[in-house]
Amino acid sequence: MTPAVLALSLRKEFPLGWGRGRVLAVHGLDLEVKRGEVFGLLGPNGSGKSTVMKMILGLLRPTRGRAEVCGFRAGTLAARRQIGFLPENPYFPGFLTGAELIRYYGKLSGMGGRELEARVDQLLALVRLGGEAGRRCLRTYSKGMLQRAGLAGALVSDPEIIMLDEPTVGVDPAGSREIRDLIRELKERGKTVIFSSHLLEQVEDVADRVVILHRGEKLREGRLDELLTQTGEWQVRVKGLGSDQRRELQTWFRQHGAEVLAEGSPRERLEDYFLRSLPEKERR
Amino acid sequence: MRESWRRIWAVAANTFLEAVRQKVFSVLLIFALVLLGGANYFAEFSFQEQFKFLKDLGYAAISLTGLLVGLLGAAQLIPAEIERRTILTALCRPLRRWEFLAGKYLGLVSLLGVMLGIMGVVFWAILRWKEAQLIGTEGGDAMVAQAIQAEARDPRLWQAFVLILAKLFVVSVLAVFFSTMATSTTFVIAMTLMVYLIGHLQNVAREQWLESGEHVSRATQAFLAAVSLLVPDFSLYNLIDEIVAGNAVHWRATLEVVAYSGAYVGVLLAAAAWLFEGRDL
Repeated sequence: MTPAVLALSLRKEFPLGWGRGRVLAVHGLDLEVKRGEVFGLLGPNGSGKSTVMKMILGLLRPTRGRAEVCGFRAGTLAARRQIGFLPENPYFPGFLTGAELIRYYGKLSGMGGRELEARVDQLLALVRLGGEAGRRCLRTYSKGMLQRAGLAGALVSDPEIIMLDEPTVGVDPAGSREIRDLIRELKERGKTVIFSSHLLEQVEDVADRVVILHRGEKLREGRLDELLTQTGEWQVRVKGLGSDQRRELQTWFRQHGAEVLAEGSPRERLEDYFLRSLPEKERR
Repeated sequence: MRESWRRIWAVAANTFLEAVRQKVFSVLLIFALVLLGGANYFAEFSFQEQFKFLKDLGYAAISLTGLLVGLLGAAQLIPAEIERRTILTALCRPLRRWEFLAGKYLGLVSLLGVMLGIMGVVFWAILRWKEAQLIGTEGGDAMVAQAIQAEARDPRLWQAFVLILAKLFVVSVLAVFFSTMATSTTFVIAMTLMVYLIGHLQNVAREQWLESGEHVSRATQAFLAAVSLLVPDFSLYNLIDEIVAGNAVHWRATLEVVAYSGAYVGVLLAAAAWLFEGRDL
């Protein structure tokens, strides 16, 4: 099966203008994203994440190398039919309603008629903008609502690949959790999700594989469980042990030559604690 | 081809909707108020002078309003989309860049058409209202009443409208052309205004170029040739002034100017699409 995305020696230089030379944004990147996986593009600001995404979308032309989407050359209509995209900090025309935005994107993707109307209703419900919210102008939406509307717009043509550039930036914890849940749901439906983020714990939450970029070059690439598992160490979580038993265990470890690196009560993640503190109906 | 048209139409409808919802039509209200105010001005003069004044004011207001909407609207079409990054969410879809550009231009000219249509109807209604008013005060004599009617119901009104619209389509396509290579609206407006002004002297440059001999330097010749071949001849639209002055202008001449405008718009849109195709976004 052809990969969802294939990049071969992808390079992008931007001219600085007026004979001031060129800046190298992406340096000979090789990348393969398999179908059905959630793939994270990681890296600090300026590492080339957005540039790579734009080259895959055909919005930027590579200076050298090539990219393919489901076997089609990146940027061709056939390639773009396979992709839904949500840019970083997207701006949506405030004069449109949520439903009109999704309808507009649907029409640009060649949809129309009853099929499109049914899809608009379905997507509004999926991103919880159904009913009155979908009929409101986007200028009245909160940041989270806008992001959800943009996500619905990216999904309108039911693409094989969904590309999200920093999808959780500026979104509150509940909204951020919701987006990650949606990414998992898309994966369960067999879709490929490629997303960039510098919020590492969020990437860890949903990604199958990641690539770490730095100044346009690939530093690391691999499955998260392979990259993050520390094979020389072992941990266990138990409950119901008293202080005497804990001391006994520590002694036992030392007697068997093991070094106790950490011990104590585990901490809940702040995000989980925060969401648990909210009233039930606001958690989703 | 049918799919292409659907996508172009979707972009055009969205562009039109954006302009309408951004209160562009309040401009029309101001236009109507200016005309209404002007209609009663100089009431002490003869009816011919009153109509002359009203037509001068009307055509000038329509041209200026159309020019402002066309220029500012077209100048923002692409740079504003890039600045707001809405262009990314549109062009990552199976939409060709030339389709996007054509849709944007179509949306803008539709807006200009509707605006000029509304202004034309308002202008026509005011002329008819002035006719009724003047016949009431001065039209006791049948000859005078007939003369007033002839002034108010001048069919050349629509001829002038067609020419104004054609001129605005050319100004808009110039702004669209410059916007495909610019990121700043100011640059687009400045370049368009510069070509607009040079375009009024295009016929002079063309004559100089055709008549220039050995005594003119190669650089001057190249400049004159560039102006003659690339810049639209805005002096052709001086027919509007002829109509306002009350002179007869044949429909054939009007249609020739319209055909020239159409050809210029086609060529420049194709050039803009070619430039836009290679642009990194």
